[in-house]
Amino acid sequence: MFEKVLIANRGEIALRIIRACKELGVRTLAVYSEADVDSLHVQLADESICIGAAPSSESYLKIDRIMSAAEVGNVDAIHPGYGFLAENAHFAEVCESCKIKFIGPPSSAMQAIGDKNTARACARKVGVPVTPGSNEIVETEAEAVKVARKIGYPVMIKATAGGGGRGMRTAHNEPSLINGFHSARHEAEKAFGNGDVYIEKLIVNPHHIEFQIMADQHGHVVHLGERDCSIQRRNQKVIEECPSPLMNAGLRKKMGNAAVKLAKSVGYENAGTVEFLVDADRRFYFIEMNTRIQVEHTITEEVYGCDLVKEQIRIAAGQPLSRHVAHATPRLHAVQCRINAEDPARDFQPSPGRIAFYYAPGGRGVRIDSHAYTGYIVPAYYDSMIAKIITVGATRTSAIDRMRRALDEYYITGIKTTVPFHAAIMRSAEFRDGKYDTGFVERVMSSENFELRHAPGRRLHQ
Amino acid sequence: MDLKDIKAIIDLMKKNDLSVFEMEKDGFRLKLQKGIGDQPIISVPTTMPPPPTSAAQNGPAAPTSSGTEATTLKDIVSPMVGTFYRGGSPDAPPFVDVEKTVTEDTVVCIIEAMKVMNEIKAETSGVIAEVVAENGKPVQFGQVLFRVR
Repeated sequence: MFEKVLIANRGEIALRIIRACKELGVRTLAVYSEADVDSLHVQLADESICIGAAPSSESYLKIDRIMSAAEVGNVDAIHPGYGFLAENAHFAEVCESCKIKFIGPPSSAMQAIGDKNTARACARKVGVPVTPGSNEIVETEAEAVKVARKIGYPVMIKATAGGGGRGMRTAHNEPSLINGFHSARHEAEKAFGNGDVYIEKLIVNPHHIEFQIMADQHGHVVHLGERDCSIQRRNQKVIEECPSPLMNAGLRKKMGNAAVKLAKSVGYENAGTVEFLVDADRRFYFIEMNTRIQVEHTITEEVYGCDLVKEQIRIAAGQPLSRHVAHATPRLHAVQCRINAEDPARDFQPSPGRIAFYYAPGGRGVRIDSHAYTGYIVPAYYDSMIAKIITVGATRTSAIDRMRRALDEYYITGIKTTVPFHAAIMRSAEFRDGKYDTGFVERVMSSENFELRHAPGRRLHQ
Repeated sequence: MDLKDIKAIIDLMKKNDLSVFEMEKDGFRLKLQKGIGDQPIISVPTTMPPPPTSAAQNGPAAPTSSGTEATTLKDIVSPMVGTFYRGGSPDAPPFVDVEKTVTEDTVVCIIEAMKVMNEIKAETSGVIAEVVAENGKPVQFGQVLFRVR
């Protein structure tokens, strides 16, 4: 087992990794930007080193400074979390050449499957169905028009290096295709330094279902079932649940096997997620693989009874897959709501600033993964997620009722949060029926019954 | 921090016979030192207005009405993460010492990061007042290495 691990991330996931390390008896070194000096993960780590100014490009993305900190701190391994450098093959390579273990897949696997367009080629090679689309990067406007005509509208233009919903445009006709082609390229170039795009058939209002993969360094690859992430706003996930209300045992087996086959074909190691779109007829199509631990790994943990981050660390240290992970079966139902520092009443405008008062719900079946606390100043420099609330129940209905109960106790003042938005969704009949798809949020927010009210106990005060 | 607080600190120092008081908070630094003679030794950041004169002669030093100014100490901070060395090699003499005059291009130290020796320039001019970082010890981004007046 490692002696010391450097956490190359911030916020709730840095805290998550530190917790896993502490439980494994591994020492922790947190690296942080000047904006995060009071962050909870910095306070809880055994050691911490400031690596730069607030902007991510000046700190969390500075490979040289992170490696210096790793050297100064004499660490054995680096956990990259999600976002930032987690899927940066070059960073994984640098770690490999410095003989510091990167807690994730080898850079070769990342390169083979992390790039969305080459991933589609990998999938086709092993017989995993993909959404009909261009086989290559689309270089010119003329090519884009030709491909779109061939696939048939509507289509989706997607950046190969994209993530977090950026670098994507839908097009229902040729003029919007031409516009979308150029703006997607531009956005991707700015956000990811790579403007390459490809084109896929747009599956209207699909379910977004992803499979959790865990692979050790000895060739064992398993899947831990699916998560339904169809509840999205502007292509960003807001609510996730496990298992998917759309799934049955037969489809789970087929999709799970496809995910494992794909991961094996690129020599994958450690945690990863294979994403699929499922249409109304339960046909599934591979879209991409995320070569990192994900924000929603939590609901798989609750349903399958395992600690995926600890397992990541064990695998990176060379241990074989734990028996309880390799033979995990789903037992319960879990729902996760991502709480962001945003104002749902004002088009989700960001709401950074000082949390005047923070009280998180508790009780049976409620899990909070958060770095927030009373007095914490949410910085404006990073993504707005301040907490994840996960509820578990024996049935889907009890997990949802529990979430509704817990959200009503969640009391955060000083900043605006999306708690009332989630509370409204938990009350929505469409969500409770489980018959939603990726068009759900837009539909439900424009419906008459949608009301942003949130009434935590009146007696809760500073 | 306002004048009332500074006066209160001066009183406390007098009462308890303290000769030096130093504090740093939120980008503001204050150092009060009981003076021998009439050397002004209060240092505050340049953005603060200098405290008005105090009548005390035997108490802690304060800027006198004869117009001596408060001196400002500028920090030379580390631009990277690594190990701080005062000289170019283990037996080499330090690049700078207290009282050495520096200009913007003067190399003041080496920070070793990933086996690369980076020469760090002063980027300010003045006289080294204090060597803050410790030779051979790790430094992080933004950490104070030297103070210059």
